[in-house]
Amino acid sequence: MERENSIEVHNLTKDYKKGRGIFDFNFEVKKGEVFGLIGTNGSGKTTTIRHMMGFIHGDSGKVNINGLDAWKDSAKIKQYIGYVPGQIDFPDVGTGTDFLKIQSELLGLRDMSYMNDLIDRFKIDITAPLRRMSKGMKQKMALVAAFMSDADIYILDEPSTGLDPLMRDTLIQLILEKKAQGKTVFMSSHIFKEVEDTCDTVMFIRNGHIVNLVRRSQFENDPHEAFTVTFASDNDYKRYLEYDHYMLKDVPLNELIVNKNQKNKQITLNLPMSQINEFLKDLSEYSIAGFSNEAFSLEKYYTTIVEKMEV
Amino acid sequence: MLSLPLFKQTTKANGVLWSVLTVVSAALLAQFAALEMTQSLLFLIFYGVMAMILPGVYIMVSSNKLFASQIDRGSLAYVLSTPKKRSTIAFTQLLFSVGSITLLFLILTLVHIGVNAHSPLDLTVAGAAAGVYGISGNLTAAIILKINLSALLVCLAMSGVCYMFSGIFNLSKFSIGFGGAFVGISVLSNMMAMFGSLGVDVLENFKYLSICTLYDYKSILLGTDDWITKGIAALIVAVVSYTIGTVTFCKKDLPL
Repeated sequence: MERENSIEVHNLTKDYKKGRGIFDFNFEVKKGEVFGLIGTNGSGKTTTIRHMMGFIHGDSGKVNINGLDAWKDSAKIKQYIGYVPGQIDFPDVGTGTDFLKIQSELLGLRDMSYMNDLIDRFKIDITAPLRRMSKGMKQKMALVAAFMSDADIYILDEPSTGLDPLMRDTLIQLILEKKAQGKTVFMSSHIFKEVEDTCDTVMFIRNGHIVNLVRRSQFENDPHEAFTVTFASDNDYKRYLEYDHYMLKDVPLNELIVNKNQKNKQITLNLPMSQINEFLKDLSEYSIAGFSNEAFSLEKYYTTIVEKMEV
Repeated sequence: MLSLPLFKQTTKANGVLWSVLTVVSAALLAQFAALEMTQSLLFLIFYGVMAMILPGVYIMVSSNKLFASQIDRGSLAYVLSTPKKRSTIAFTQLLFSVGSITLLFLILTLVHIGVNAHSPLDLTVAGAAAGVYGISGNLTAAIILKINLSALLVCLAMSGVCYMFSGIFNLSKFSIGFGGAFVGISVLSNMMAMFGSLGVDVLENFKYLSICTLYDYKSILLGTDDWITKGIAALIVAVVSYTIGTVTFCKKDLPL
């Protein structure tokens, strides 16, 4: 039977006291999806990942990886997992070549062609001594070590740390390739951009609590797109505000508007992508002096929707 | 049970220190045993003090690297992200420790037997210098073997204790702090006790602070069996502490 979920977290709590830790986490990562975990520093991202890797043991609750208990079968689950740790210090073995050689032996890897392919893509000089590598170079080594294994599930703890924008794109590309191959990717990040480009589901956590879990489909339908309209005349400005708009009938216009400015004859409102046509049709009845649209972003989503929900 | 790649990795990480200390120990031993000027001090200085200090340094530093320092730095995450059981990892590290220390003493034994075959040592003088009287004849290969075995057992006990601290603590500073204090106090007390045996009686009480007391080359020179009982005691310390270290490492939370 094909399993539906690659990772299942049930009632997981790990209390480090003084409000630190993670509390009653429940979520699933479906097979073949890219799952993003977003949170500020100290919100519990790494703690969550450590449970998945079987490095630590929850006070209560459990984590299943492909149906196996992550703590009890921590060695077995590793055959399914490629892992990028949050800390990037390597074993004391000399050069990058030595490290990758030992790592591939530990993984029982025979075919090195994909590894060499990855080394080319990330442009790493693996003959350099590990100790002298820069942060970004070390991160790229860690990425190669994780992706060279033929895993089903990739668990990445802040994988883009220290990468330049070009390499970050390479990473995003790689994640999308893995997704296309039907692999599951779980990644943590505090950078919205990379999660936005890759993830099907994003979970926001804060101070050890799950704040919200957003599916991409849902996120695309929520009003989060900000449009700013400048009207040509005071008359049009007033008329627009008074008009009974047929779009979004169940939501009053006042709730969509985030900013009004009579002096500049300007209105800013948040709309879901799906309503843009209606919105523009409406606007065609007015004389418009300016129109702008803020970029579609999860960050925006987080600040306008998620944080509002918290209050 | 054993992971060969990890064994290689641990060997790479500790190889330089091991080689340096082995070469230095072997060279010192060869010099003490070969030169007429130093021959009489062979037991007092080399087997009495050096045979504990030099391996002690190796044990202190390498044990910390087995677990604690790798957990502290996070590098153990790479080994643990492969399908290797924690017990396999612990067993591999244990085997490396026992193996490397045994090899060190094996080399010392062979070097000494070789040098001794060339210029046999008169036990009367060398014994007297170390405070062992009433023995005569030449040093034999059997005695050399026994002395090194006795020293090896005590070093394994020290290694066990350091391994245990490395397995218990997640921070290098605690592992090296406790392990280093244990080895340091043992080795230094052993030295103080040596001065005690030279005539400053009060200092002899220092032997009670040192696990090196279980290493008894004097009993071997005198032909008594004390060293065997003490050796077994050292072995028990080693087995118990290796076990505690392994079990703790396998069960604890790892901040990786």
